Amino acid sequence: MSENSENYIEIITRGIWKENPVAYQVLGICSALAVTVKMSTAIVMGIALTTVTAFSSLLISLLRKKIPSNIRIIVELAIIASLVIVTDQILKAFFYDISKQLSIFVGLIITNCIVLGRAEAFALANKPLDSFFDGIGNGLGYSLVLVLVAFLRELLGSGKFFGFNMIPPFFYDLGYQNMGLMVLAPGAFFIIGLLVWLKNVLPGVSKEER
Amino acid sequence: MSDPKNKNSKLNVFIFALTISVICSLMITLAAVGLKDRQTANMALDKKKNILKAANLLGSEKLKKEQISQLYDTRIKEVLVTPQGEIIDTPMPDSMRLYYFQDNETLLGYILPINTRGLWGKIKGYLAFETDGQTVSGFSVFSHSETPGLGGEIESAWFQKNFKGKKILNSQDKFVSVGIAKGKVANLPEEQRAHYVDGISGATLTGKYLSEGIKKTLVKYDAVSITFRQKQLKPVKKNIDYSE
Repeated sequence: MSENSENYIEIITRGIWKENPVAYQVLGICSALAVTVKMSTAIVMGIALTTVTAFSSLLISLLRKKIPSNIRIIVELAIIASLVIVTDQILKAFFYDISKQLSIFVGLIITNCIVLGRAEAFALANKPLDSFFDGIGNGLGYSLVLVLVAFLRELLGSGKFFGFNMIPPFFYDLGYQNMGLMVLAPGAFFIIGLLVWLKNVLPGVSKEER
Repeated sequence: MSDPKNKNSKLNVFIFALTISVICSLMITLAAVGLKDRQTANMALDKKKNILKAANLLGSEKLKKEQISQLYDTRIKEVLVTPQGEIIDTPMPDSMRLYYFQDNETLLGYILPINTRGLWGKIKGYLAFETDGQTVSGFSVFSHSETPGLGGEIESAWFQKNFKGKKILNSQDKFVSVGIAKGKVANLPEEQRAHYVDGISGATLTGKYLSEGIKKTLVKYDAVSITFRQKQLKPVKKNIDYSE
């Protein structure tokens, strides 16, 4: 049993750090650009994606011996899409305020390549619980990058942290200006690029094969 | 190859695809139909909440569902008007909807529904005016599909509270509407500042469409605003039933 739980921790940390979906697998970049202008949206998106990846991986892994291999992508997409729509409906009925905040994020999850990527690369070949934790690990890894990028973009672009002003007014009096580039999508490109580089020079990381 | 026990046999592929489709559609249908009533109720309540918010009748404390409905019923009256601005009792093809907000004895202002295109989809909201027919008393957004964090900021409090006190008439009493500035209002010429609110960085187009939509609505409801500027209007006493 203890060996098992160690294994789960190993799977989760691999998703968060060693094989981080954004920085290492370079998946989910488009949504990482869209939702990282502010901390609050980034966190909400991170939670939503982690939940969906975990459960879709679990379901697909449960069915993995039954799914015919030539239509597996269609089946995976059908499962992921249904799961997302049902979640969306439940949110609208019981947590209307949260669902309004999430707005189009929920729909965006279907198109997020991390969900399908993990289903293809992991869930089809591994046990259900392993796949579930793999989903959680990758979701958290994605959230980590999102939060980091959002922190830098909100701080540099709007001078704020969770909507609170962080830059003291006398900075502005001295001629400091918010970096307009950070609010726009290219700002996220630069930060993500730098993060990927930073991650590759840090220890404990799977190096790309050359 | 056509052995039915093989999961990759043609027959099995068809059966599997069919089963998955049926299960998935059943799940979605069940969720959609079973939860519909709750969802419509939530949306109706949210609409009431935003009408109250535009009229500044919603405080900072969180109200329960019943309290919101009760506040709405006592303070907001829905009216239909002709294009000439007169209140009518029965709906007509060209009648326009608006809301009065009032205390028991005094009319406090009126709320116009804004319905315009945004960058990605419709923006629906409410713009409230004081009884002088030219001072904005509040703005709220009911639904939109703008980019979260950019155009989606039209939903946020800092953006909406800037509308309060803006004028749709200039100092010569000519109609100029209210709009969303490109950048900060402080950078505009002095005489324009009363007619613009701070723009959202990275969301120039959303601002442009919303400005256009507000202007169009104001032109459409011009007769109503003129009536307000000219007359002392009385509050509406009872709910007019517009159902047919």
